[in-house]
Order: sequence, then structure tokens, then C-alpha cells
Amino acid sequence: MTSFEDVKKGLYRYEEPDKGWVIVIKDAESLIKGAEKVRDAGIKRFDCFTPFPIHNLQEAMGLSRSWVPFISAIGALTGGTFAFSSMTWIDTSSWPRIIGGKPPFSWPIYLPITFELTVLFTAFATLGITLYLGRLGKSSRRPVVNTVTSDGFAIWIGDDMSKSDVEKLLQGLYTDINPVKV
Amino acid sequence: MSALENVYNIGKPDREIDNDILKPLESFPTKLWYIAFGLATAGVVMFWSIAGYSFVKGLGIFAINTPVGWGFYIINFVFWIGIGHAGTLISAILYLFRQRWRTTINRAAEAMTIFAVMTALTFPVLHLGRPWLIFFFFPYPNERGPLWVNFRSPLLWDVFAISTYFTVSLIFWYMGLVPDLATMRDRLVNIEAKTKLGNTLLKLRKNVVNILSIGWVGSAKTWIHYEKMVLILAAISTPLVFSVHSIVSFDFATSVIPGWHATIFPPYFVAGAIYSGFAMVMTIMIISREVFGLKQYVTLKHLENMALVILLTGMMVSFAYTTEFVMAYYSANDMEQYVFLNRLKGPYAWSFWTMFTCNVVSPHFMWFKKLRTNIYVLFAISIVVNIGMWFERFVIIVTSLHRDYLPSSWDLYVPTFFDYAMLVGSFGWFFFWYLIFVRALPQIAVAELKADEAGDKAKGFGH
Repeated sequence: MTSFEDVKKGLYRYEEPDKGWVIVIKDAESLIKGAEKVRDAGIKRFDCFTPFPIHNLQEAMGLSRSWVPFISAIGALTGGTFAFSSMTWIDTSSWPRIIGGKPPFSWPIYLPITFELTVLFTAFATLGITLYLGRLGKSSRRPVVNTVTSDGFAIWIGDDMSKSDVEKLLQGLYTDINPVKV
Repeated sequence: MSALENVYNIGKPDREIDNDILKPLESFPTKLWYIAFGLATAGVVMFWSIAGYSFVKGLGIFAINTPVGWGFYIINFVFWIGIGHAGTLISAILYLFRQRWRTTINRAAEAMTIFAVMTALTFPVLHLGRPWLIFFFFPYPNERGPLWVNFRSPLLWDVFAISTYFTVSLIFWYMGLVPDLATMRDRLVNIEAKTKLGNTLLKLRKNVVNILSIGWVGSAKTWIHYEKMVLILAAISTPLVFSVHSIVSFDFATSVIPGWHATIFPPYFVAGAIYSGFAMVMTIMIISREVFGLKQYVTLKHLENMALVILLTGMMVSFAYTTEFVMAYYSANDMEQYVFLNRLKGPYAWSFWTMFTCNVVSPHFMWFKKLRTNIYVLFAISIVVNIGMWFERFVIIVTSLHRDYLPSSWDLYVPTFFDYAMLVGSFGWFFFWYLIFVRALPQIAVAELKADEAGDKAKGFGH
């Protein structure tokens, strides 16, 4: 049984890198190694930036699985229930009609619209939760390093650490370490 | 990774992929583009002028008459909706089946879907005659009584199916674009224009790209949710594609018109939609890869795969045609039998035989490797298939309606100038949007391609 705590853990959000260090990483393998080191050092506030999704990174960063599908399922149930029950209410109590000799409540003919609205509500729920958890919609935001949307990789560490500590932690993996610009 | 998968590897550094795909968007268009865009705009002007004229004069300017109440408008509607099926098929179904070759064609195919649905949607709305009353279709508590729409009507199901399809396709397409828009945004920082006009346009472009990229910075915490979103959208789009054309076919199949009242309609329509959609993707991609120099990305192997899908769905469509004739024979129903004989030998036999040649005969050229790897043959067949698929809808609608139960009401359907002009204009409307797309947004999903290129060490996008 999934507890509410599990769900909450899977709903981690994007955090703005507001202080600390930005470490430019050589390549994808070094990024995974670096993320593991940062995770093992017990650092709480950190994030990785990549131009494309890297699956192994989720485990390397110690993030639990995303609960976006859970919210999508809630959207699906809402859509289906809403469509079916509104049609039932309309045909049985708001305006009951007999069409083609069929009784007012003829559930099989509700299925196409119920299906379509299930899909529509799922799509909206999925879109909404992704925008919310990704904190998307803030156009003024800029990447920590310009290259992470092209071919670069970077790690951001937000916990209090001195530059030499960061250098020691990520020895051999980085090409550059800069303080966060605010 | 197997050897087969390596066929689709481009083997270029990520920055060069960015350059290949995004660089053409950072300069002014070529002369060829202006010519094509001018023609498309002329089509748009013609389309909407005739639509406006029909509001003033009424639908009488078109050829629809008493037995044939559904003319070119509904033929064009079903034709364009069919075209709009390949995009979601490529982006959703081939995604779930992990077909790597879809990566370089899915963005363009999805864009094509959206513009084809936009084209399709105009027809039933204009066919209302009073399109400003379109809001009557939506069930909302209103002051007109308790007055609700009829949920038993497949025409209403269509309203829901197509508006859902359009919305979900748009969300899927746009969210797929967001990481690439961020790449564009961060490239535009380093670009400066030489002229004053160039500077103004560049500033506008920077602002638009900035807003559209909604603050995407490539954070791993966003990517993980994002990938789940892509997976969910693909999973819900798959049954959605099948439902939409099935519901379009219900418009016909639930009626009691001979030639329409058949249980084979939903799968038959879906196969036909994929068939014509893939043909259209092929036409467009063959032109695009020449004009934009994308031959490394959309290779002959990709075109060959599409050719094989066309062969498969072409045979499914042929099978459906045969089934219809066999069922008419076996039904022992005079009306049904007459309609099918009338298709073979009646006044519209020419349209049936055009359809038959284009749809049943032409895909079989794809059996030969030499032919399906020849660009010219593929281009010709992709166009022939779409001509055939347009005639398929003509055959279904006109031959079934023009002679129904009562011989005294039989009549011929002779399209007018305005009918043909609307058909031509709809192509203008479609290409108008498509040409804007190829100049404004990346035609190939860059982030997705990079993830594919990185292979095993950086699996992404559900692989």
C-alpha cells in the first residue's frame, strides 16, 4: 500500500538555485558520478542540469519516482465521472426524452463522450502537475550555465560549502566551479 | 544497442546537431520559401473569401442538393482529419513501441497533424451555414429552456472527439517543443543582427521564444516529471487516435443509408487515416529534407519504413473494400447490393476506379526494395495515395447518397467552381501554417534526438 508520505516524496519540485556553487561537468558519465558523490555526502539542496533526460540520474541523485501518473489518474477519474454523471443527470432529470424508442437513461451511448472527456481531463491534469512541479511559466529564468540547453552539464550545490570542499568532492569530474549569480 | 538501431545514429556532437537544425531558423528565409508562402497565402485569401461569400449568399453556391446533402465539405473534412492521424500515430504509438526511427520525423508529423485538424475543423463549422451558432453544440446550462444537446448523436460525439484530439495533440506537441525552445533561446543570446530591421525582428523573436520556453532550464528535477508526462500523453493519445476516426466513421455507420451502414467502418476508417497520413508525412518530409538539408536526419531508411507502413495500411484498406463488396453480396439486401453495383458501373464509376487504382494498386510497388528506396517513386506514390484517399471519401459520400431508397429522389451531384476552389484553398490554409512552422520552430525534436544519440549511457524518453 502506498502511503501519503510516498506520494509526497514523489512530488519533489524544481528549486531555484539562489546561493552556493555551480559546477560545470565534463560529460554525462561524470555527471552521474558527481551526482552520486553529492548525494552520498548528504547534501540536501542540489540539482543537475542536462540538455536531454538521463534516466540513471534519478537514482544517482536519490530522487524517488515521480508521482505525475498518480495525479493523471485522478484527472482521468474526474473526467470520466463528470462526463458520465452529467449526461445521466441531463437525460434523467433535467430534460428526459425518449429518442428512437430507447429509455432516457441509455448508458452505452454515453461511452464515446465519457472516453473523450476522460482523455481530455487526464491531459489537463498531467500538463498542470508537470508545469507546477517543474515550476515552469517563469520566462525570466535563465539557466545556470548557457550550455546546459545545448551540450553541457552542470551541478548546482545550494548547501553551505567552501570552494575547496566542492573541489575535493568532485575531483576530476568538473571543468569549472563558479559561485551562483543572483 | 543492436546493430539495427545503429542505422539511425547520426554520430554528431550535440552542438553540431543544434547548428544543423536551428541555424536555418536564425536567418531570413530563402526566395523559394517566399514564393511558396505567397502561393499559400493566396489560397488562404481565396478560402476565406469564398467562405465569406457563402455566409452572404448561403450554401446554395455549392453543389449540395437534396439527396446529396453532404458534399465536398464533408469529403474534405474526413480527408483532412485522416491526414491528421499520422502525427499522433508517429509520436504516440511508435513511441510506445520504441521505434527509434520516429525521433527525427515526429515533430514535423505532429505539426502536420495540428494544421490538418485545423483545416478539417473549418469544414463542418462552415457547413452549418450559420457558423456563428456553433456554440449550440456545447452542452452548458443555458437560458433556452432546459435545452441540451442530443448525446445520442454521433455528430455530437464528433464535436467532443475532435476538440479533445486537437487539444491533446496541441499539448503534446507544445510540451515536446519546450526544451528545444529553451535551446533556441540560449542560442539567440549570442546572435546580433546587421540591419535595423533585422534588429527589430530579432528582438521580437527573442521575446516570443523567451515567453514560449516558459523558463525551461534543463533541471533534472523537471526532466523526471516531464518524461512521465510524455509517457502519459503518449499512452492516452494512442486510444485517442483510434477513437477519433472511429467516431468519424460512426457519423456514417450509425445511419441507415445503404453503403454506410456497415460494422467494418471504424477499423476501415482508421486504417485509411493512417494510410493517407503517412503518405502526407512522406510528401512533406521528402520536400523538407531536400530544401533544409536534413538528409542526414531523415534518411532513406526512414522513408523506407514509412513506405512499409503505407504498404501495410494500403492492404488493410484494400481488404476493407473487398469486405464491403462481399458483405453486400452476402446480405441479400437489394438496396445494399444496388449501391455497390452502382459504385462499379454507375455514373460515378470513374471515381470508384480512380480510388481503386490509387489505393489498391499503387502501394504494391512498395514490395520492391529498389522502388521503395527511390525518392522519385516514393514521392509520386505518396501523392497518388492521397488522391486515392480523397476519392475514397468522395465514393463513400456521393455514391451512397445520390441513389438511395426512392428512385424518384435520385439526382446527380455536380461540384461547382466554389467547391473546387474550397478544396484548393484548404491546401493553401494548411501549407500557410506549415510554412510558418518550418521557419519559426525546429522541425526535428533536438533534445529527443540528443537523448537517442547518447544511447545506453544516458537513456531517456522512455527508452
